[in-house]
Amino acid sequence: MARDRDEDSYARPVRRLLLTVLLLCLFSLTLIWRIDNPRMERLRAAITDSVVPNMEWAMAPVTGAARMADNFQSYTRLYEQNQELRRELQQMRAFREAAIQLEQENARLRDLARVQLDPELTYVTGVVLADSGSPFRRSLLLNVGARDGILNGWATMDGLGVVGRISGVADSTSRVVLLTDANSRIPVTIQPSGQQALLTGDNSQAPILEFIEDPEDVSPGDRVVTSGDGGVFPPDLLVGQVAVTRDGRIRARLAADYGRLNFLRVLRSHPGSTLLDTGDIIGPPWPLEPEAASESGPDPAPSERVQDLIEDAIGGDTSGEDTLGEGSDDSDAPIPVPAPRPRAEVTQ
Amino acid sequence: MDRQVWYIWSTRALFMALALVILGLQLLPLGLSDTGLPPPDWLLAFTLAWLYRQPVVMSIGMIVVVFLLADFLLQRPPGLWTALVLLITEWLRQRRVTLTEVNFLIEWGSIAGAVLALLLLERFVLWILVAPQTSLGLSLMHGLLTVAVYPIAVAVSHYVFRVRKVALSDAETA
Repeated sequence: MARDRDEDSYARPVRRLLLTVLLLCLFSLTLIWRIDNPRMERLRAAITDSVVPNMEWAMAPVTGAARMADNFQSYTRLYEQNQELRRELQQMRAFREAAIQLEQENARLRDLARVQLDPELTYVTGVVLADSGSPFRRSLLLNVGARDGILNGWATMDGLGVVGRISGVADSTSRVVLLTDANSRIPVTIQPSGQQALLTGDNSQAPILEFIEDPEDVSPGDRVVTSGDGGVFPPDLLVGQVAVTRDGRIRARLAADYGRLNFLRVLRSHPGSTLLDTGDIIGPPWPLEPEAASESGPDPAPSERVQDLIEDAIGGDTSGEDTLGEGSDDSDAPIPVPAPRPRAEVTQ
Repeated sequence: MDRQVWYIWSTRALFMALALVILGLQLLPLGLSDTGLPPPDWLLAFTLAWLYRQPVVMSIGMIVVVFLLADFLLQRPPGLWTALVLLITEWLRQRRVTLTEVNFLIEWGSIAGAVLALLLLERFVLWILVAPQTSLGLSLMHGLLTVAVYPIAVAVSHYVFRVRKVALSDAETA
């Protein structure tokens, strides 16, 4: 007993010192996070990258079981579902017929107008590894990362609609900030009125549509698509439908099925007309034929860098396919992008 | 003595495993579409429950490692929540000796105070740093739910993990 007390008498100041040092370290960590956010977020991505895939062997069965239970509940109403599906199938056959006719007509018209489809709207498919784990953040972790050529800012979709935006890329994982996250802001267009709006996440299932010029022109059920303003997202990706809540706020009901996000497509967007050098403001950075750049450009360095960037963005095709075997590169892949009307007009 | 050391380290290992399981469950990509109540912070509830029962087991180093990992994985400002939890647990550790023999309601009350203080301190620091924060209502709800599930954490610790309160005489030697 007495010896314990003795130990205690000098263990206590040591403990207090240790505690103070630890607290100082932790608070300075927070300060560094506040000051040098990008570097800290890269560190966070690296830590997540090294921890979460290791936990996957334990998490995958649980996720699978929970999803199975979820699906099992729907078996109880199998009969009604079957009837419903039959009716829908009937309707879909009619739609398919119309779609085939339209597609043929579309192909003829495209041929007439010599439209070039955007070859860069290809995608890499990834599997959802984990969510943010916090009730106040809406984000996902995908199993594709820098080694698959993923870049920050690329759009992410499920089969139908936009899900979110890549923010934070580690070597083998990347984080998708969902449209419902409180930090998410996406410029959108509301069709058919053509109004511009900002889709603002607020941690609820249906993000708010802000800054609409004429709210009278917008009615529930209107389509919401990305506008492509500011180069944030490629234009004309389906986001959802307009819904008006009881208190008169205009929100978007998202087309992507947020309840069961499992496989996501990361769209390879354009690198955009990024200005890498002040000289690029004067000289046009695009056309980028390599011989033209090397002949006419007095300073080949910036254009080479642009070339590298594009190769980065286009490259990694094969690795993207390796991750799942589902990433497809043929340009007539059924990406749910409506016909690129504005571009067609330009070419005319 | 040897047995005691073995008990401490095995319980620490148990807590680490429990923390990893809680973090893993939180990270499961399941509840993406429900946006009702924010779920309670089970990690904090278990930490506080074990701290009251076996303060020797919950060493500073383990708390720092577990909570720092949680900070990084759960997209929180790294270090801040860990530091505050460390502060609060030290404070509870000092108060504990006087609270050991009291009934559960008073323990629960002190835990509620601690959680509330944690939340308000976090908001205060974030406010000073002009960092983005969540709405007050949501985080208060989060704290309330954490306090509400505290008895469950205590019961699970007591009956499943066999983490019982040490008597006052043991606590003094510890």
